[in-house]
Amino acid sequence: MPPRPNPLIAQLAGELEPVRPLRMRHGLALVAVATMLTIAAIALWQGLWSGPANGQAAAIFFIANGLIALVGLAAARAVVRMAAPRVGARQDGLRWLLAALAILPVTALLLMALEGTVGRHDQATDGLNCFIAGTVSGIGVAAALILWLRRGAPVGPNVAGFYTGIAAGALGSFAHGMSCPFDTIGHLGIWHVAPVAMSAALGRIAVPALIRW
Amino acid sequence: MIADEPTFARLMIASQGGDRRAYTVLLTEAQFWLERFFRRHVPPAQIDDLVQDVLLAIHAKRATWDETRAFLPWLAAIARYRWVDHLRRVYRSSESELGNHDAPADSEEEAVLARMSLDRLFVQLSPAQCNAIELVKIEGLSVTEAAMRTGQSESLIKVNIHRGLRKLSALVEEAD
Repeated sequence: MPPRPNPLIAQLAGELEPVRPLRMRHGLALVAVATMLTIAAIALWQGLWSGPANGQAAAIFFIANGLIALVGLAAARAVVRMAAPRVGARQDGLRWLLAALAILPVTALLLMALEGTVGRHDQATDGLNCFIAGTVSGIGVAAALILWLRRGAPVGPNVAGFYTGIAAGALGSFAHGMSCPFDTIGHLGIWHVAPVAMSAALGRIAVPALIRW
Repeated sequence: MIADEPTFARLMIASQGGDRRAYTVLLTEAQFWLERFFRRHVPPAQIDDLVQDVLLAIHAKRATWDETRAFLPWLAAIARYRWVDHLRRVYRSSESELGNHDAPADSEEEAVLARMSLDRLFVQLSPAQCNAIELVKIEGLSVTEAAMRTGQSESLIKVNIHRGLRKLSALVEEAD
């Protein structure tokens, strides 16, 4: 005797409509647009620092902002992929990149302890401004990624929330970094990396509830 | 015999395009696959509910499968996610024994299933966490009964369940 047809399957088949598969490139494009809009808004609001174009920026400006941007892109890519689940997906590479980013604050703290570099080259109020502005600048990227995850099927909401925070904090800090004229390791290593840590914590706490399904 | 990876992928591509007949076959095959996937880790009386839950999830999230990737790892990830949710919900079941109704299967199917099975998640837990979850969440013992059976205190059983489920939740995609 043939097995009895499952009524739920008949119902779901009856409701079937064509769908457009979620493409990873669309998610990445969404993040790119959010980042560009953030940079454009900062350019209009504060103006971008002309130092890099004039050859006045120190090497650490390019190294720190480049590393922060790279972490943001890698985290955003990981989050975009998490919308389409699959057994076997790993984020090991991103962990190493985060460890590389940690070199910046560790170096800044070491120099501060050994030479007082941070104290000489940086004002705490400027640093605090960059910390707040960098964190707030990540809101657009965070919104884009949350929107993307809600369309998808993330099966690790806590990890997805954590990496959403990393991506938003890093890309927000990078966008704000284009307007910041302080190019010392003490300033960049602490106040421009702190938004990444803060956003990661916020993402881990707040995002899972928004993307659970 | 349950459908293989290429068959599932072909059916899913047609289903995403709106082919209802292909979708009926896909969901029916997915139902068989899921029944086998869950059979040693869910009491028989709860398997139907869990399978239905996963079928609904497949329907709601069918756009998240990309034809450039394999179908079964996608299905297994959704099944694991729903299973961990199910473990959280279930505190006690009237079923105390798990079925052992192994269906015959060819070796390739077994190999694919084994790579993504729920056992791969359990090996990541400590023995105490594994015991606590199996006894309370799967076999349906009370916390007191599980404590007596294992020699752990009741509070330790609760802690092990809590930490074990949290770890399982984090491992849904990674443990393969």
